[in-house]
Amino acid sequence: MIEARDLRVVRAGRAILDGASLRVGAGETVAIEGASGSGKSTLVRAMATLIEPDAGQVLLGGVEAHAIPPSRFRTRVAYLPQQPAMFPGTVADNVAFGPQARGTALTEAEVAALLAQAELSSDYAAREARTLSGGERQRVALARALANAPEVLLLDEPTAALDPQTGLQIVALVRSLAKDGRAIVMVTHLPAHAEALSGGRYVCEAGRVRPR
Amino acid sequence: MNPLHYVEIPLERLAIAAVLIAVAVWLSRWNRLSLEKDLLWGALRGAVQLILIGHVLLLLFAHQTPGWVALALGVMVLVAGYTSSRRVEHGPPWRRLFPFALVSLGAGAAVALIPVFLWVVPLEPWFNARYTIPIGGMMLSNAMNVVALVFERIFAAAAASSDEIEQMLALGATPKQALDRHTRASVRAAMIPTINGLLTVGLVALPGMMTGQLISGTAPEQAVRYQIVIMYQLVAVAAVAGVVAVAFARRLLFTARAQLSLPVTPKA
Repeated sequence: MIEARDLRVVRAGRAILDGASLRVGAGETVAIEGASGSGKSTLVRAMATLIEPDAGQVLLGGVEAHAIPPSRFRTRVAYLPQQPAMFPGTVADNVAFGPQARGTALTEAEVAALLAQAELSSDYAAREARTLSGGERQRVALARALANAPEVLLLDEPTAALDPQTGLQIVALVRSLAKDGRAIVMVTHLPAHAEALSGGRYVCEAGRVRPR
Repeated sequence: MNPLHYVEIPLERLAIAAVLIAVAVWLSRWNRLSLEKDLLWGALRGAVQLILIGHVLLLLFAHQTPGWVALALGVMVLVAGYTSSRRVEHGPPWRRLFPFALVSLGAGAAVALIPVFLWVVPLEPWFNARYTIPIGGMMLSNAMNVVALVFERIFAAAAASSDEIEQMLALGATPKQALDRHTRASVRAAMIPTINGLLTVGLVALPGMMTGQLISGTAPEQAVRYQIVIMYQLVAVAAVAGVVAVAFARRLLFTARAQLSLPVTPKA
């Protein structure tokens, strides 16, 4: 489904990624652990095509990312940062953003269904997104990403800013999203959360990825 | 007094006006504002610049050729371009911004000046420096402020909202869509002074050009018509320069692969 092949990212003379490779198939769930500065965030950002690697390739369904228009690639591959920014407006505005950008409006029922997938009640739709708590924001960000019906979910430390209990709930939610054949990559520095994802486990170290 | 004659200012009486600066300097010293040096330097520099420009204009009016007029306008464009591209916080260094500032200013000025000189105030000869230089200068000065404001604001907004912009890109938005909110805010903010000028013109202050024409004896209704044309030109300049500048800023903020790349300004 998605593959990083020998990615190399150099910033300010330092190789943050140095030949990192990772392959995740449809319906597969993968956790990447690693100390801070090991390059794990850079890896998912490069896989999301948000930064340009200095060498190596990202492939989606066997096709080089460069051969796919960026907007198209990014609707198929969702990326969530540690603390996803909420856009101005309501939760419904946020959830509808992706389809809206392509000129498609979501119905109220569709928004409610997406919120439900992220385990949020439809009452959230009308709330101001920027007033939500960290855990609620993660869920809204997930619903917002799911609105694009992505084939791949890349999550960068989705639990790092949350309390342990909320963090584990988010991991369980993420795990449940793999069942529709979605490929999931979750970066975390917490072994317990990597464990809870109950999929493949890898470690990022010195800019490379190795199985744990 | 003949209404078509204005009061001339001999040098001795010009010197009396300098007392006004002395008042400000004295106030500054008295209140310990530490502005004395700036005031004196500013007063001196402003006067010297104006006196020099007076002589340049004298020469230019005496030897009017398209080449000299173009040279004068060219220098004005360069100075305006430099001024609007330097010290843009969070923006790229001025050398990188400068060409884009030039094109934005030039586009704004061209849109505002060419049709007016063709159809509204047809000139004889077509490059008549008495019109092209002062009116061109007003347009360039407005364009300069608009471009500087747009640059200042859009790069600061992109830096402050980089998370939001990147998240939008990650959801499949184009750079144009991801920056849209900030683009609009920047151009609006840059145009506000011009629009406020439209709304208060004549109520608060008579604009400089009209004042000058009235003093030099132009019939008020003609002076007013000139001022209306100038105002409309200023609006066109602001809109065109602002929109072009923001489009360039967007190009500088994203890679060809639609990735946000914030310019890093080397701290001087």
